[in-house]
Amino acid sequence: MEIKHKHLSVENKIDELPALAAMLEQLTDEWNLNPGLAMNLNLVIEEAITNVVFYAYDDKQTHFIDIDFELDGNEFSIMIKDDGKPFDPTQKTDPDISLSVDDRQIGGLGIFLIRKIMDKVSYRRENKKNILTLVKTL
Amino acid sequence: MDIKNEKVGDFVVVRIDGRIDTTNYTEFEKIIADVIDGGEKKLVLDCKNLNYISSSGLRVFLITQKRLMGAGGKLHLCSMQPSIKEIFDISGFSTIFKIYDSEAEALSN
Repeated sequence: MEIKHKHLSVENKIDELPALAAMLEQLTDEWNLNPGLAMNLNLVIEEAITNVVFYAYDDKQTHFIDIDFELDGNEFSIMIKDDGKPFDPTQKTDPDISLSVDDRQIGGLGIFLIRKIMDKVSYRRENKKNILTLVKTL
Repeated sequence: MDIKNEKVGDFVVVRIDGRIDTTNYTEFEKIIADVIDGGEKKLVLDCKNLNYISSSGLRVFLITQKRLMGAGGKLHLCSMQPSIKEIFDISGFSTIFKIYDSEAEALSN
């Protein structure tokens, strides 16, 4: 079966998110992905990109974040590459979701959602870049 | 995102239409804060037309819940789409919020 692939590059700013969401909607359409899955994939992308935009850079320069989508049989993967400071989201502790309202921490949910929605989350640092790979078996 | 508020009995019903994400959650947060700052302690967030939420939006829900509980108020959510309910379930938010099937139910509790 043919492997489908789509690459794009976005700037490290939050304003890129709406265009990214629109592109993802088009992609899920073209690749005949379940519409129910589309929202979750959008969420995963937003959480991952938001983390890079907010936390990866200490300078005020424009950086580009590379995003690669791939559909290989029933495996959908997203690879996100940035040249920010090293950050391994797989090492982050999950929030305790059993806590009461008073004790629940505000924040920390983004990476948790990525891990819960996707089946495989892996990280590597290569050539001064963070490479986050997210895989969902459809 | 489009938000409309309506006073219904003791409650203020906040009807959310569209997406709450990193690009607009501060706007949503301000609308809710303004309602509470205006002295309202009982809120219904009608999620019937909420079709996307990310952790930025969830954060506002949690802040609002903490604030209203601290003030002896009520926060009821209603009419959530299944995809949004799934995100609430994954986040453990379904157990810390009162979620009703309809606005009428949310208002009568």
